[in-house]
Amino acid sequence: MKWLTYIWIGILLLITAIAVPQCMHSGADATFVNMGGMQSTLDPQGPVAANQLQIFYITLWVTVFLFVTVGGALAFATWKFRQRKGDDPNYIPPQSHGHPLIELGLVIASAALLVVIAIPTFYGIVFKSTLPDYAGEDVLEVNVTGYQWWWGFEYPEHGFHTANELVFPAGKVVKLNLVADDVIHSFWLPKLAGKMDLIPGQENKMWIQADEPGYFWGQCAEYCGDSHAYMLFRARALEESEYEAWIEQQKQPSVTETFSPVDLGDQDEDMVLQGWALFMDHCVRCHSVDANVKGMAPNLAHFAGRTSIAAGWLENEPENLVHWILHPDKIKPGNFMWNGFPQPGDPKGAPLMEGLKDANLSEADAKALAAYLYTLK
Amino acid sequence: MSTSQATYGTWKRPLKKTGLVGFLTTVDHKKIGIGYAIGALFFLLVGGVEALLIRLQLASPEQNLISAEAYNQLFTMHGTTMVFLAVMPLSAAFFNYIMPLQIGARDVAFPRLNALGLWCFIVGGIVVNLSWFFQSGAPDIGWFGYAPLTSKQFNPDIGTDFWIIGLQILGIASLAGSFNFITTILNMRAPGLSMMRLPVFTWMTLITSFLIILAFPPITIALVELLFDRHFGTHFFNVAGGGKPILWQHIFWIFGHPEVYILILPAMGIISEVLPVFSRKPLFGYPLVVFSGAVIGFLGFAVWSHHMFTTGLGIVATSAFAFLTMLISIPTGVKIFNWIGTLWGGRIQFTTPMLYALGFIWMFMMGGFTGIMHSSPPVDAQQQDSYFVVAHFHYVLIGGSIFALLCGIYFWFPKVTGKLMDDALGKIFFYTVFFGFNMAFFPMHLLGMTGMPRRTHTYKEVMGWENPNFWSTVGAFVLGIGIASVVLQIIYSCFKGKPSGDNPWDARTLEWATANPPKEYNFGYTPVIKARDQVWESKYGPEEKKMGKIAPDSHGIHMPDQSWWPLVVAIGLFVAGMGVIFNGQPMALLLPFLSEEATFSLFHMTAPGLLLTFFAMYMWALEGPGGYHLHPDPEELE
Repeated sequence: MKWLTYIWIGILLLITAIAVPQCMHSGADATFVNMGGMQSTLDPQGPVAANQLQIFYITLWVTVFLFVTVGGALAFATWKFRQRKGDDPNYIPPQSHGHPLIELGLVIASAALLVVIAIPTFYGIVFKSTLPDYAGEDVLEVNVTGYQWWWGFEYPEHGFHTANELVFPAGKVVKLNLVADDVIHSFWLPKLAGKMDLIPGQENKMWIQADEPGYFWGQCAEYCGDSHAYMLFRARALEESEYEAWIEQQKQPSVTETFSPVDLGDQDEDMVLQGWALFMDHCVRCHSVDANVKGMAPNLAHFAGRTSIAAGWLENEPENLVHWILHPDKIKPGNFMWNGFPQPGDPKGAPLMEGLKDANLSEADAKALAAYLYTLK
Repeated sequence: MSTSQATYGTWKRPLKKTGLVGFLTTVDHKKIGIGYAIGALFFLLVGGVEALLIRLQLASPEQNLISAEAYNQLFTMHGTTMVFLAVMPLSAAFFNYIMPLQIGARDVAFPRLNALGLWCFIVGGIVVNLSWFFQSGAPDIGWFGYAPLTSKQFNPDIGTDFWIIGLQILGIASLAGSFNFITTILNMRAPGLSMMRLPVFTWMTLITSFLIILAFPPITIALVELLFDRHFGTHFFNVAGGGKPILWQHIFWIFGHPEVYILILPAMGIISEVLPVFSRKPLFGYPLVVFSGAVIGFLGFAVWSHHMFTTGLGIVATSAFAFLTMLISIPTGVKIFNWIGTLWGGRIQFTTPMLYALGFIWMFMMGGFTGIMHSSPPVDAQQQDSYFVVAHFHYVLIGGSIFALLCGIYFWFPKVTGKLMDDALGKIFFYTVFFGFNMAFFPMHLLGMTGMPRRTHTYKEVMGWENPNFWSTVGAFVLGIGIASVVLQIIYSCFKGKPSGDNPWDARTLEWATANPPKEYNFGYTPVIKARDQVWESKYGPEEKKMGKIAPDSHGIHMPDQSWWPLVVAIGLFVAGMGVIFNGQPMALLLPFLSEEATFSLFHMTAPGLLLTFFAMYMWALEGPGGYHLHPDPEELE
């Protein structure tokens, strides 16, 4: 039986030996433990995330120290005092009961180690909860609203709405006012800051800042129902000048007089007009194309300028968009665009708004809608 | 051995000791303990299969092996099952079986109440899992059931109602058991068994029971409020009606955090029994181990908001809860120091239970360290609801609780069955569990730090999480094979195990003074306790520390009568609970041939169910305590 145990342990060790290097190198850029991954907290790009990572490293070093000392003592005791081959199994070691001084000393030592963690912790709590002094009045405010399963971003200074893509200037403090419309969500942009919950009827606040212009991935971190896993978003930190240009564009009306065709095969102006008609029939009651009107569903003004669709789950590419319009249920389970928007008082009754499952859109319809949407520059 | 039998009340009390009737009417703490263990091991496997399905879905990115809806049901049921139906009842199995033996009692203080606990556990487990068999499926709200996702508006299906009612009935089981254990430990100790001579496992039973009776009322209230929101139009958690969703989180975690210690303190008790036995040395710093257990239990009520660091509590509350949370690591560290002190200078024997005990210390230490990390709110802001937290609590709940409970099974198996579990086989399974566990959960630390949120059905390939996820799934299957093998070994050893003799481990505490398995009356005499670790002292200690024995008087030993009524009360609660679940639902939902138009009301099942419950309680009271006498072997007195 003993050799069987050894062989089995050998097999398990072998699997581990294969697994460990694989886990150490993961992701497209194959950095160490995927450190540079899209949502890695180990690769902070702003002061809040950097502070949080710093405190994490303090806790890590304290616990590594404890692991080495306490674990070392444990390993040593286990080895030193083991029953060896040939030892008398009935041997009785000295029956000692404990030593108050040793125990008191260890209690004091562990309390001292906690102080090492507690002080930066307190600093970190204050740091993430209050706007930094250097910001002064120069703060961009954005109201974030969480919905099942998308994000609404409102720029109160300019009065316009956008969805699922947060745009802000790099180097500037951005204050986020967070609230949820339906259930609890959590705003998590790992490279810029740890999460803060969006709760119905309660406004939470946090701030973020990106050191350099960049493109960031974020995700809802509180379980919020069927499509929780598909509730992502993107954040774009722009150069100050680019940001100003973006603001100017958002202020323009999204619906233009002339439709400009985009690359969707053989589409033409008729197609865009057909898409516009379909949009008016099926979409416009929830999706506003006017940036000043919020709407029940993601605001689609300036849609063509977004990099992602379906709350950050898909890239904003024509095939993706057509597929998304045709079969949102296959991409995001339970979503209201497919099922219809339920009556708040009677979730099982007739929907407040009909969903696309009752619209019977053909592939040509979906392509026409996409053609129209891409005119929303 | 002779018995005398008297009946009381209106109906005759059941007499049959064996077979189905004997089991359904039993009041013997040992049979009830075994009942808990069988139920808990069954649900452990159910919860394990749910976990493996979750891991299969996550093995590679953007998979759709399991739909998002089913996935959400699976993780809700996995959490609910493991916490309420596997770890808690498995601990309760040990409380029931071992604790009365450790204090030299004949049974627990209220034997029929004890039976009610078992039946409520089984009924509660059935109710929660029945939801799988309805079209809307199991609850998909998470084991924490955060409002307002649980409201009728966002969750119109009956899955949530199964969850509410199931948890309520399980709460009755836990409360009934805990009052019983507290009364038993405080009042029924053998002469000379002062509190500071109690075995540590009994101490932890006592502390855990106090935690349960203080922690379960909040969850009961929260569930009642949720039920009223869903069924009777109240607005406790509904913003539109003036309620507050955050209220649920506070009440839930005032229960939920002590619950964590309800899951781990029994494990610490088991470890504190097993380490001294296989080090052949008393527990190092016994008073401090007991005291730190009590401090952990006490502080456990003052840290609930560390589950809510991201909900915007403000600087003061966040800091206060952070520092209180850090404080908990001191008594926890004290326990680890004392366990190492126990090993120090001993003669360590590497039996299977000892391997689990040592594995426990290592894994629990790991889980404790990650716990220190997210006791700091700025760190927690990144780790909260990420896979890092999943890694953390699986290290303390599998590496901690489950390792200790398996340790307890290998250690006390000879006590319960009089047979041994094969040591060599046990070790192979231990290594399987140990490797599988670490392979499944260590990579989750990396996933969490690189941004993977928990409770997500799938993830995008660009995130770069595929390798740790894949190996985690491989590890989960190795762990699953290990646990399943242990369960098979338990079943096998029940029938084919080698006889163990009365004290196979040369163990220390009072339960090993009885026969293996113990007679129905446990002790044929009243033990007179002269020392902590009485069995060890009786064997190796000085004369004045050897155990005394007081023979029973001429009546013999007074034994409690069996009863049907605990079972009937539980059945009544089941019917009443089902009535609440189906309140307002079309009748055809339950049975297809019933009307599509008519709906159930509380009068259809809840009223009759409650009538049955109260009738059974009345009969319970009326039948009186009963009892009969047994005369033990005179040999036991020598």
